[in-house]
Amino acid sequence: MSLRWSGPAVAGAVIVALMAALAVAGPIVWGEAAERIDAGAILQGASAEHPLGTDNLGRDLLARVLVAGRFSLALALAATLIGAAAGIVLGTLPSVLPKRGARLATGTVNALVAFPGLLLAMFTAVVTGLGARGAVLGIGAAIAPGFARLTQTLAASVAGADYVSAARMLGVPRRRILSRHVLPNIAEPLILNLTQALGGALLGLAGMSFLGLGVQPPSFDWGRLLFDGFSRIYVTPEVALGPAAAVALAGIGFNLLGDALARAAARTTVRKMDEPPAPPPEPGEPDPGAVLDVRDLTVTFPGGSTPVRGLSLAVAPGEVVGLVGESGSGKSLTAAAVGGLVPYPGKVTYGRLHLGGRDVAELSDKELGTALAMVFQDPLAALNPALKIGGQLAEVAVVHEGATRAAARRRAVDRLGQVHLPEPERRAAQHPHELSGGMRQRAVIAMGLMGTPRLIVADEPTTALDVTVQRQILRLLREVVAETGAATLFISHDIAVVGELCDRVVVMYAGRVVEELPADRLADGAAHPYSRALIASLPDLDTDRTRPLAGIPGTQPAPDQVGPGCAFAPRCSLATERCVTQRPELVAHGPLQRVACWEVS
Amino acid sequence: MIIQNLTVRFGDFTAVDDVTLEIPDGRVVGLVGESGSGKSSLARAVCGLVPYTGSIEGVRRVQMVFQDPYASLNPRMTVGDTVAEGIRGRDRDSEVKRLLDLVRLPAEVAGRYPRELSGGQRQRVAIARALGGDPGLLVADEITSALDVSVQGAVLNLVRGLRDELGLPMLFISHNLAVVRYVADVVAVMHQGRLVEVGPAEQVVGEPAHDYTRALLAAVPRLRG
Repeated sequence: MSLRWSGPAVAGAVIVALMAALAVAGPIVWGEAAERIDAGAILQGASAEHPLGTDNLGRDLLARVLVAGRFSLALALAATLIGAAAGIVLGTLPSVLPKRGARLATGTVNALVAFPGLLLAMFTAVVTGLGARGAVLGIGAAIAPGFARLTQTLAASVAGADYVSAARMLGVPRRRILSRHVLPNIAEPLILNLTQALGGALLGLAGMSFLGLGVQPPSFDWGRLLFDGFSRIYVTPEVALGPAAAVALAGIGFNLLGDALARAAARTTVRKMDEPPAPPPEPGEPDPGAVLDVRDLTVTFPGGSTPVRGLSLAVAPGEVVGLVGESGSGKSLTAAAVGGLVPYPGKVTYGRLHLGGRDVAELSDKELGTALAMVFQDPLAALNPALKIGGQLAEVAVVHEGATRAAARRRAVDRLGQVHLPEPERRAAQHPHELSGGMRQRAVIAMGLMGTPRLIVADEPTTALDVTVQRQILRLLREVVAETGAATLFISHDIAVVGELCDRVVVMYAGRVVEELPADRLADGAAHPYSRALIASLPDLDTDRTRPLAGIPGTQPAPDQVGPGCAFAPRCSLATERCVTQRPELVAHGPLQRVACWEVS
Repeated sequence: MIIQNLTVRFGDFTAVDDVTLEIPDGRVVGLVGESGSGKSSLARAVCGLVPYTGSIEGVRRVQMVFQDPYASLNPRMTVGDTVAEGIRGRDRDSEVKRLLDLVRLPAEVAGRYPRELSGGQRQRVAIARALGGDPGLLVADEITSALDVSVQGAVLNLVRGLRDELGLPMLFISHNLAVVRYVADVVAVMHQGRLVEVGPAEQVVGEPAHDYTRALLAAVPRLRG
């Protein structure tokens, strides 16, 4: 967790530090002044000698506010700890107790959460006796249900994790599962909540004292000073405003700091942006026949991570190009860069990125929206679960082409029929969850067909589907390409799927293209050692079962650890000295093939 | 061991419908089927993670290896602590070393955290943890489907090695027929909660008897050429 020092975070930290200093030093420095009775200066307003006035015994109110800091903060801390401890115990009970007890504990938490917090506090305070102890217990009781609910929810999410199931099967006792698996994995949000609860407790305690349910004289905290000063607020408002300001300031400080901590924990580390990457070389002449023409595409992330490194590829109309590689090879980010979808803080540079002969940066959203169709791995995430299928498809035509609702809807039903969704009329009126995975993917493809796509980018569109459904979707994609003449970039980790569907295959490794070849040459014509190893490690229905399966030793380098030479060299059996130090360029290898390897070209 | 007349119901929905399946000693039984076929529910029932009717006989302890190696290891526990979880009353350190060695991992990884390991290495740790529980049956639920092809081979080789070295019976579940054919001695095909075909691996793949098995086989993507 790294804290970004934004304005509110700094303010919060400074206020909390000041409060801590006040709690330590206040009574030592101003303790005497706060207790000094002066019969000659009773109930005074603000003056040079008493900036906040005096009370009914002539004691200086500024000194009393400063001294009360320690007591107020100590009470708030005690109340928070009591509330948090009670809440966490209550919240973890459902995961430790047997079924019936767990249900009872859950019901108790539900009932307590539904009960107004302040009422709970006052009730507890009255029952346990007026005074500081009652107020602390009361506020603790008010805080506990929130903590219990948070703990219970967090614990329930961890309890469903596979590692908890594994521990249960290994016979690890419940208590031990709680202490080793559950609590360590939910500690962070609980600690963050503690800071914010502290601010709340401070305000709550001041409220209790103000209502006369809290600290009783001769003790005093900020709430008590506020209570005493309140009757004089019309005559000398400063005597009430002083303690009120102290309460507000402390409350704001704790909440700001808690917010900042929570936000820092939620955000993944954002490192400082490095030097901008060197501008790509002159891209040369554009390919006039290509729908998608990419030259020297690079995607960088802060911290020296470069998942895509100077990638070039072209896709012709009606051609299906497969982009294949293992996870982390940069294939999905390449697709994202084409669609302008690289997530923050990624940075995209290119020598040329043309769609239909024009730079994608110059295309309006409308033009990009109709010329480019994107199909993703998870069709459920690509569809809005709250809207009907037909309406979502129609929206594309309404927004991008200004079609009327009725015309757009007719087209939506037509397109759903085109992707062979049975009963398109009825499907259009259904929500995404009513369709099977394969049907949803068909609907997403139909959505891409609402415009007149010149390029279809499909990122692992069949990975989440069963093999029989996968086969149908691949056939559909082929059919759509034949009908529309759209260029297609098909991204997959599965080289067999790519080999079956595509015309041409581009193999990626560690952000670069290592080989480009016609798909029908994959089985015997692949030249790059990586492509060959990838094909060899894929079991098929004829693999010799008596021999061990081929694999590739080692792992692909992370995007920030790619060396100067060939990235595959450490895992390659053909690698020489030169491979480690010098990177091979992608060069022609036969008529339709290109390979980046010193040893085979 | 034998699973007899096992049925799993979730409310009105019958996920596993009266399945009887034998897992012979020292054999790997591969279970294939598409999502929703009930294969994962059957696995979870065998592991005692979901309620079922019917009986499971002839097995003392069942351990499971899960699909997602990124979610099945506690991120706050070292590899050594994770592997040691099932070890009872034996010398912990030497036992952890022996288990890591069994899954071909160097002893040094015991001090590391899961985030420092690759997907394939994590899956080996999960297998070592399961072996630590001294299982009479190992259930492997789609253990390679979250891995890259380049490391899948090594994990499948490991699975076969464990069968040969330890004689450990296994229920190996996958949607990928090619993978199941490679590791399993017996293949069982599941469809809509029922077993539609069971037989020796080569026979089921070479001469499928059921239409559904044929449809599955026809859909397996193959390289042309």
